[in-house]
Amino acid sequence: MKVDVYNQLMALQTGRRNFMKGVAALAAGSALGTSLAGRAFAQGNVRADILAIPGVGKGSPTDADWQKVGELTLEATKASVAEGEFAGVELTFMGLNNQNLHNFLFRGFLKPWEAYTGAKINWIDLAQADYNARLQQSIASGTVDFDIIEMGAPFEGDTAGKGLLDEMPDWVKTQIDMDDYVNYLKAPVGTWDGKTYRITIDGDCHTFAYRKDYFTDPAITAATGMTEAPTTWQQINEFTKKVKGQKDPLTGGDAFGYLDPLKGWGGFGFYFLEDRASAYAKHPSDPAWLFDADTMKPRVNNPAWVQAIQDVLDAVPSLPPDQINADPGTTAFQQFLAGTGSGICWWGDVGSNAKTSDSSVVGDVVGFSINPGSDKVYNSAAGAWETPATPNFAPNMAYLGWGIYVTKNVSADDKKRKAAWSAAAHLGGKDISLWTAAYPSGFQPYRNSHFQYDEWASAGYDRAFVEDYLGSNLDSYNHPNAAIEPRIPGIFQYYSVAEDVLAKGFAGQLGTAQEIADAIAAEWEKITDQIGRDSQIKLYKASLGL
Amino acid sequence: MTIGSLSGDLATSRAAAGRSQRRRLGRFLIIGSTAAFILLILAQVLQAAGVAQFGFPNWRPTLYGYVTWGVLLAIGQIMARGEAGWRALFILPAGMFVAAFAIFPTFAGLLIAMTDWNLSSSTGPRFNGLDNLIELFQDRFYWNALGNMVIYVLMVAVEYAIAFGLALLLNAEIRARKLWRVAFLIPLMLSPVAVSWMVGKSMLETRFGPIARFAKSVGWQSPTFFADPWIARLSIEAMDAWVSIPFMMILLLAGLQALPKEVSEAAKVDGATGWQGFWQITFPLMLPVSITAIILRIIFKLKLADIVINVTSGGPGGATDTVSSFIYREYRDRSNVGYGTMLAMFYLVLIIVFITALLNLFNKRMQRMS
Repeated sequence: MKVDVYNQLMALQTGRRNFMKGVAALAAGSALGTSLAGRAFAQGNVRADILAIPGVGKGSPTDADWQKVGELTLEATKASVAEGEFAGVELTFMGLNNQNLHNFLFRGFLKPWEAYTGAKINWIDLAQADYNARLQQSIASGTVDFDIIEMGAPFEGDTAGKGLLDEMPDWVKTQIDMDDYVNYLKAPVGTWDGKTYRITIDGDCHTFAYRKDYFTDPAITAATGMTEAPTTWQQINEFTKKVKGQKDPLTGGDAFGYLDPLKGWGGFGFYFLEDRASAYAKHPSDPAWLFDADTMKPRVNNPAWVQAIQDVLDAVPSLPPDQINADPGTTAFQQFLAGTGSGICWWGDVGSNAKTSDSSVVGDVVGFSINPGSDKVYNSAAGAWETPATPNFAPNMAYLGWGIYVTKNVSADDKKRKAAWSAAAHLGGKDISLWTAAYPSGFQPYRNSHFQYDEWASAGYDRAFVEDYLGSNLDSYNHPNAAIEPRIPGIFQYYSVAEDVLAKGFAGQLGTAQEIADAIAAEWEKITDQIGRDSQIKLYKASLGL
Repeated sequence: MTIGSLSGDLATSRAAAGRSQRRRLGRFLIIGSTAAFILLILAQVLQAAGVAQFGFPNWRPTLYGYVTWGVLLAIGQIMARGEAGWRALFILPAGMFVAAFAIFPTFAGLLIAMTDWNLSSSTGPRFNGLDNLIELFQDRFYWNALGNMVIYVLMVAVEYAIAFGLALLLNAEIRARKLWRVAFLIPLMLSPVAVSWMVGKSMLETRFGPIARFAKSVGWQSPTFFADPWIARLSIEAMDAWVSIPFMMILLLAGLQALPKEVSEAAKVDGATGWQGFWQITFPLMLPVSITAIILRIIFKLKLADIVINVTSGGPGGATDTVSSFIYREYRDRSNVGYGTMLAMFYLVLIIVFITALLNLFNKRMQRMS
């Protein structure tokens, strides 16, 4: 679980306790907690036991807690590894140190594993900003000096695509119960060229958060004619234009519709144009939507993407006055949470912030759904728009999530290889993942078993809130027409240059939506040629499982 | 001939022979170590080019070879040239240092600038001659950033005027002068990144920022500081100036304090007004310091990046982009090493040419005045 999500959840619990405002209520709460804890331990259930460490509302977990969790979830390792089997083996693990999580957790989780197996792990801790440069330089200079790596799935093109990763042994697949993964993380997204390399430890997607009060306010509903939250981009576009001139029901300030971030964000800003475009461009019959899989010809200037860019251009006059300088972070946390705008697409955690953040004024009026769909969808193969019987939905699986990978450095040494995969499997185990989903870890839920809401409620979480927060994620994860990110080398280069062009386009310097899209396509062609078209085609197909 | 003089001649001749042998050995050390080092580089280059295999795991042997060559060169100099060799030792380390940390990186940079090298490419760097330079001339984003730099550099004149005014103020007999001096220096001590967040992202924030609120209270309906191209440029310039004016001010203040008081006092006695005293006496006398302050400020200005990256990312529509922030995106976000290096090299040449021309201009003006 992301730290901020956990903090917000805890804040919510505290808020509820304050609301009760009575000794009797507190006593009842304590009794409930005791009975739940007693029941959990009485069951001898590892999942319930680890969810009680340190216990909901009992402060942030510490290294001692991480070690306890690591110890309690060691049974799977013990089934495949004898005690002391890896004595003398040294492994190097490269990962992040964001918010004192990631590698810090892994150290605690793996301490009991090291004690049991006899292996020793050396750590390379990196800040998020240094990660990409360190990885790319290691690859480019042929100095991959790590055996295990925590890596985002979009980088698989740079690593698996270049033959730098070790294929996952079958015993690992069994140990971590890969069948439990949500649909989008299974093949082909969970594999590369038909082979499995990633032990998933995180899930990522964009969902739609909206203001319910905008659809009950008399003045706004009279002006817009809408009493239900929009479910398609066509409805959102119409609403955004019609709501201008009204007053926000909560803040009394100017009312705004959907918030498009118009400023770049190191490549990540492109995900937000994708939110719009995926509904138009991701045809259910075709896994590709950013490039033609056979030629790597960009689709970013096809009618679907041009429509998405046109939507944004049309919306600009209706957006807040400083929107040209609003990046996705600003749009979510300084605008939407603070009461500006009626809707936004973001990663799953922004929803919970909206519910509980101290700086949020929209907590009681927020609703969630999967990303909006479209009344029409572009069929790239036929070169024509289609109008399906029901809107075309294509939730944007933005960034895909973090994973643990083993590099080729260990492939020639059987003992070291088994040790590396055993350590990785311990971190990506089914039970340990429940704990990382429920407590601050930097990771979101990614297994079907994470959505057993009773388990969360038994651990002390507010069921209605968790169900609301997680439900839109689950629906996106398992959607049959999810828009999947291409895991090709340099994918963020494509996004970054697109951001630059879009910024000029949104500022009115590049003419029409088609001209903006053509400019992006031209830049993308240059990148493809520079990286190598044939290799990109091969890797793109591999990432799509074609 | 006495035995004594004979033995003296013998000793002299032995000493001469010894010196000659030492010189030969010294020359051998210099030539031999140089040749060995060149061979080592050649072997590494051939291996890197895939022509031959010598089993080098990396380029470290060249580094170790360079250090060893330096040591042998120093010893060889002493042996071959005696006293003159010792004197050369005062220069040699500095020369080796400059070669390693300035000349070599520049040439390496030039070489990289002539490659098509994207870190994500499976083929690695490919020599492409002047293609990057040709592409640079067609890159509208780069020329847009250069255009912005012209505007930012012109703003230095305004910064200079403000800094001069403040320096005059702090040089005058005013109350709590020391306190004011420290107070005016505080912005210089702040990190531009901190200023970006405190001022650009907080105080100038459209909805909640105090400056925006104040602007609303005085009648500006929708105050936005980074939405309009010119207002955005001026906002960025204002933040950068706020951080950097104290730097110019402190240089000018030091200059003012070093001025001989007799001259201005004599002018006063002769009946010069305050303005005449400043324009005819103080300003001309301050020109050398002013030129130093302006040149240094321009050099810093040409490297402007942090505030732009943090506050606007170059927007709106590239209106605030600087060459450094553009190169940063080309490198960090796009791993485009070859092209990014060419952009930086070209910019370096422009800076050198511009600063040299500026210095010549100032020198001619100074000579004319004197």
